[in-house]
Amino acid sequence: MRINLSFAAVSLGILLAATASVQAHHSFSATYDGNKPITLRGTVTKIGWQNPHAHIYVDVKNADGKAVTWEVESAGPTALLKAGLRKEDFVGAEIIIKGFLAKDGTPTVNASSLTLVEAKKEFLTDEKTP
Amino acid sequence: MKRLMIVLTVALALGGQTVALAQARPDFSGTWRLNVGKSGPNVAGNTPNIPFPSQIAVKQTPTDISVESTSVRQQPVSAVYKLDGSKVTVQTPEGISETGEAKLDGGNLLINSRRSFSSPAGDIVVEFKEVWSLTGNVLTIQKTRTQSGESTTEKSQAVYDKL
Repeated sequence: MRINLSFAAVSLGILLAATASVQAHHSFSATYDGNKPITLRGTVTKIGWQNPHAHIYVDVKNADGKAVTWEVESAGPTALLKAGLRKEDFVGAEIIIKGFLAKDGTPTVNASSLTLVEAKKEFLTDEKTP
Repeated sequence: MKRLMIVLTVALALGGQTVALAQARPDFSGTWRLNVGKSGPNVAGNTPNIPFPSQIAVKQTPTDISVESTSVRQQPVSAVYKLDGSKVTVQTPEGISETGEAKLDGGNLLINSRRSFSSPAGDIVVEFKEVWSLTGNVLTIQKTRTQSGESTTEKSQAVYDKL
């Protein structure tokens, strides 16, 4: 299905569970809190495109309007490319992150899904996903 | 005499319905282990869309249901819900507060809960809605999570086998 870029949020659910189990080199439980699921919406400012995990930096506005830069640990470039996402698709894009909060209280999450809103290119997507 | 017969007939019919309803009341008691193979995608592992516990211990009485959830990647969460749907406090790890309520709806158990914690993005409130159903020794839980202020909702389904 082709997407109308003006209105559709191009959504790409990245099922990280499988890739994470293959690529993870550290314990999820040591760094992230599985009891604290969180959804973030913001603008990508920078991306670290390296294995085993890409790191996406996202400015998210708080309720008071102040932007906080979050570090988002994602699947690695290989998995992202397989899902149709390139490095250049990220910076400047509005993104919705669903994942789990870091235990240490820093603005860090482990992403379970990424949604690029108003993507700069067309993707195959499922309208049922946000 | 005819009136007496009618009254007796109605009384017997109502009594029979009561017995039938009591018999139809599901009992979720037991220890349940997540069956990843039969569950929906992405319910387990490092980064599930919705965190499902690996194991659930349930004790049910006519008025209450006790639910203790444990998981490899989550700290234990437990609650004793009143089946009249009244709000109770859920026992959660430090830094998290949660309330919820449960009630039976036909053959299903409905559990709604709201989890709150602080984050660098401010206070986060996540609402979970669960629908439990039994088929023999298989427990199916449909679960949604919605974060306050967000329009998107995650949905997943997990299947548990009775130990």
